[in-house]
Amino acid sequence: MSRPRTELTAYAGLAASAVALALVLGAPWHAMALAGSLLLALVPAGAAVMCWVDSGENAAQAGLTLALSLATFAIASAIMVWAQAWHPQVLLALAGAGFVSCAARLQRDVYR
Amino acid sequence: MMPAEQSLLPAPTVSGIRSWSLARWIQPQLAVSLLGLGSWVYGVSQLRPTGIGIYGLLASSPWLDAGLLLLLAGFLFELRGEARTWVLGLQLVGLIVAIHGAVPIIFGAAPEYAWVYKHVGIASAFEQYGRVTDPTNIYQEWPALFAAVASIASLAHLNPLTFAAWAPLAFELADALLLVALFRLLVGERRIVWLAVVLYEGLISWVGQDYLSPQAFGFLLWLAIALIVLRWLRRPLPQEDLGSRRMRAVAVVLVAAIYFAIVAAHQLTPYMALAGIGALTLLGRVRPRWLVVALAAIAGGYLALHYNLIAQQFGGLLSGGNPLANASGARGTPNASAAAVWSARVVDALAGGMWLMTLAVIARRLRRRRLGSIAVPAALAFSPFVILLAQSYGGEAIYRVYLFSAPWCALLIAGALYELRPRIRGALVAGATVVALFAGLQGLYGPALVNAFTPSEVSASVWLYGHTPRGSVIVLPVDDFPALEAADYNDYNVEVPPADPQIGPSWMDEGNLQEMESWMASLGHRTVYVVVSRSMDDWANYYGAPKGYAQLVSELPSSLHGSVVYHNDDATIYRLSVKGVS
Repeated sequence: MSRPRTELTAYAGLAASAVALALVLGAPWHAMALAGSLLLALVPAGAAVMCWVDSGENAAQAGLTLALSLATFAIASAIMVWAQAWHPQVLLALAGAGFVSCAARLQRDVYR
Repeated sequence: MMPAEQSLLPAPTVSGIRSWSLARWIQPQLAVSLLGLGSWVYGVSQLRPTGIGIYGLLASSPWLDAGLLLLLAGFLFELRGEARTWVLGLQLVGLIVAIHGAVPIIFGAAPEYAWVYKHVGIASAFEQYGRVTDPTNIYQEWPALFAAVASIASLAHLNPLTFAAWAPLAFELADALLLVALFRLLVGERRIVWLAVVLYEGLISWVGQDYLSPQAFGFLLWLAIALIVLRWLRRPLPQEDLGSRRMRAVAVVLVAAIYFAIVAAHQLTPYMALAGIGALTLLGRVRPRWLVVALAAIAGGYLALHYNLIAQQFGGLLSGGNPLANASGARGTPNASAAAVWSARVVDALAGGMWLMTLAVIARRLRRRRLGSIAVPAALAFSPFVILLAQSYGGEAIYRVYLFSAPWCALLIAGALYELRPRIRGALVAGATVVALFAGLQGLYGPALVNAFTPSEVSASVWLYGHTPRGSVIVLPVDDFPALEAADYNDYNVEVPPADPQIGPSWMDEGNLQEMESWMASLGHRTVYVVVSRSMDDWANYYGAPKGYAQLVSELPSSLHGSVVYHNDDATIYRLSVKGVS
């Protein structure tokens, strides 16, 4: 497993999770909040997985991070519709999960 | 063209320091790209919807054409030279932005295509009510994409209308990223990878499957599934270390999770994906074999839960076993303008050319008994046709087949081009990419006046839902208006007269006021709201249908006594009292 690629994914996941949270919760303009929610939909969930999985190629790593995030975000949103429990703020937990997983990935490397 | 091996050599150095010749400093390929970008920006900034002719954008702005041509030329120069990944990546992004950014910029960021507004309405309903509000609406029962859009809009406190116009650009950029990754898995020569992606962008630009829609979302996720399958579940494995048992198990779980998102988003895409995985499994290229069975179970389970809706609204799963009929595509009109006929012929030729060239590549390999190396893309290029055995999908199936087939056709064609002698390769690569790009763009930009809307038209629609009583009947003389985008869309009854053969049965002449009044009376409301707009006028001119539309527009305020309740530059809404309704 290539350490730099998964490490880079972990750093990207950490940064995206933090920025997405900050923008969604604290942005003064809707356009910035939109950037934050798009970031939330496109990075943290996928990074949480891909920081542990090396695809062997940079474009594949980025593409799979994006696709996995989008799929997770969509399934979670659909579950809220099916369950008639519409609380989109709950999706911010994806940023939390991304943060924890990416931090654990980097931590593991530090103490290994 | 320079042989690949030669140009992959490191740049010459002098005493360990790179020599910076004038040509290297100026970077002609970057200069050409920047020139192209400048020309494109100027062209787009000068174009207004009123300045676009009936043949579309390409015929309306030489600056736009020159910009696109120079962006492509810059890319090809770099491909012929050093083929640096970062330069090619930037140039590809520039080209995709130029292709898919033009219409939203020219039309003031109003989403293109009338049916996108229907999708916005579903997302708005989820955003406002947080549940399925219309169980008879097939879109609401496959909610994954719409729910995701609703979540994004909710978190940003914005209406999805504000960002929907940029969906084609976003989807194409994401698709391109995954395609680069996929093609790198399948071919060693990076020039073929980049050429294939650019060919793909030209080939599919006309097919219009990348707007804010479940199929665009499903296609993106299908590419991710294909990437995971070809990376970790392919046999024989290109790199044995990547195929550990644990990683294969993780890959199967990831494929299943992504596939479920597709299944919950779109009715057709799961079966297109299944056809691809099934074809690879039959060829013995995928392990475990039961993966295709597991995916079929996911799709079948979801379908079973919703089968009643499919049976009620579409009469079941099969629309007829005649693949030729299922492949017939959109219905034309006998009075279509020369511009509509031209654009249709150009894209027909492009699609036919793509498949014929791909078949020629496969036949050549078969003759040389070297099919093995291209078996995977060949199987994926033609497996989507299986869907035509079962479904026409309302005339849409052939476009989905084209979309799912195009990436692999592009890869096979790009590979064949690189097998040619260097002396003729350069000219043929340039010719193929220019033809693919501009033919595809004629299909995309040709009907721009018809497919795109102005902010004024969107404002008229927003006014309509904000000011007319719930339960009102809204009559659209032409089915080309940004309607149904409101969360309460199903509280309104939007009706289109049966006068356009492209939409359905067309027995009516809208210019025959007696017929029109009698049809409106059959709707059972004493008051109806009739909308006429710029895009409707352009549709009628472009397609020569519906019959009598121009006469209806002129008679609305006089003979039909319509009173204007809303008017702006591009749309007028009339309120009509219908005779014969008590």
